[in-house]
Amino acid sequence: MRDVAVLGVGMHRFGKFPDKSVTELCRDAVVAALADAGVQWREIEAVAAASSRFSGGKGWGLNGNDVVEDMGSTGIPVYNMSAGCAAGGNAFNIGYALVAGGIYDVVLVVGGEKMPKGFIQTSGVEEETDPEFLRQRCVGMPGPAFWALLCRQRMEEFGTTEEQLAKVAVKAHQVAVHNEYARFRKEFTLEEVLGSALVSDPLRLYEICPVSDGAAAAVICSAEKARQLASRPVWVAGSAVATARFDDGLPRGLAGMVPPGKSYHSEAALAVSKALEQAGAAPEDLDFVELQDNTVYYELAFPEDWGLCKPGEAEHLLERGETLPTGKLPINPSGGFLSFGEATTAMGVFQVCELTWQLRGEAGARQVPGAKLGLGQTLGLGGNGTAVVLKR
Amino acid sequence: MATKRVPVVEGLFSEGADGARLTGSRCATCKTPYFPRSDLCHNPDCTQSAMEDARFGPQGTLWSCAVQNYPPPPPARYDEPYRPYALGVVDLADGLRVVGRMAVDDPKHVKVGARVELVLEPLCREEDGTELITWMFRPV
Repeated sequence: MRDVAVLGVGMHRFGKFPDKSVTELCRDAVVAALADAGVQWREIEAVAAASSRFSGGKGWGLNGNDVVEDMGSTGIPVYNMSAGCAAGGNAFNIGYALVAGGIYDVVLVVGGEKMPKGFIQTSGVEEETDPEFLRQRCVGMPGPAFWALLCRQRMEEFGTTEEQLAKVAVKAHQVAVHNEYARFRKEFTLEEVLGSALVSDPLRLYEICPVSDGAAAAVICSAEKARQLASRPVWVAGSAVATARFDDGLPRGLAGMVPPGKSYHSEAALAVSKALEQAGAAPEDLDFVELQDNTVYYELAFPEDWGLCKPGEAEHLLERGETLPTGKLPINPSGGFLSFGEATTAMGVFQVCELTWQLRGEAGARQVPGAKLGLGQTLGLGGNGTAVVLKR
Repeated sequence: MATKRVPVVEGLFSEGADGARLTGSRCATCKTPYFPRSDLCHNPDCTQSAMEDARFGPQGTLWSCAVQNYPPPPPARYDEPYRPYALGVVDLADGLRVVGRMAVDDPKHVKVGARVELVLEPLCREEDGTELITWMFRPV
């Protein structure tokens, strides 16, 4: 395997952009990533793109083809990756593998999304053989309710308070004020978060990420190319994809077995441990983490799932300010999904952008001091998990 | 005339003299329970898939709960005007962890760790008054 570098990254600000198509959002991100990398569109040898479920892609998730047609059809291969909300992370992994494996020298990874209004309807399939259909028709458990169930379980197990949940959101917005790409750049007080509507008790509106439009892109290349082109490349220390284990205790679909141990979102834990192993790093070596905070719950649960802290310790780290960019365990210095909103299939690439800016020391007022090693993680429907470890 | 009661989806549950049960499968080799029914054992460590029909319930313990405060998007069903309902994840005594609504008047009065039993209750009513039935959990 060859060493792979992130040569350039670019993003379209997240928000609601009714007058722009997803391909236009991607165009801005791609043009910015090319400029940042210092390469011409002609030099891109392949595209690994996240397949969108909600926008563009000719209705078939062919979003990478849309990007190529828009930028100029040079005849290059396009890989459209579908993995639910993990599609961006999945596309990065494929791009990485193609460069690391020596197939191409310069690859563009891109993810973009325009989301429909309101909460995501998890299943578009009206078939009684589809577990998501059955779960929604027979029970009525949309995403936020699922997160609320996980959150309540944690509150019972560790005594997590409603104030602590709210503090995760307060912290997210506190750092997002300094991120020009974030959708919400406004601080919220604890009272404002606690005063927001209870969407799915115990979770409140400001504790759940909304859906957004947005796009992100990264140009990655071989070490040889990077040495020619980059003054300060960021290196891919690990990139991994995983799916959920059979003995995962998460209530997916209608039912599963009562698990032998505590293992939720095994797809995320597996991807993270594989990526760290590739990087030859231990969890405590990480200087910061960008994790998928669809809700405040995940910022508390994931660090301990991955061995970044002890079970039940996350609340204390939060209270002491250790998860801020200046703390011992900075989590989501970008502001995270809570501040960006989720443009589902863009998120894995969005994280690569933030990791790169942090590792270059370009993150301004939200900079993690001296950041050398960072982790990004996404997960998606179907039990898809992705992780990437970047280093400088 | 008695109200007509119809399962919201066929083949997922039944009610006999011994009460409500979920209709699923269990692998005779590795004992893994499945709901809904499965023709194949999905346990990667199982040496020989041997699926048998199985019925699950009614006793269980509430693993977690939540309140659905806003009307869920399609294909969920509910009566207008919308009333928030409680959701539960229940560990049944026979080894199945299953999701379901809670059959309680006040969704706030549900506690994690509570002993619950499986019941079949109306999810909503059709225009002609037909009740669509689903499985729910009621604190014992």
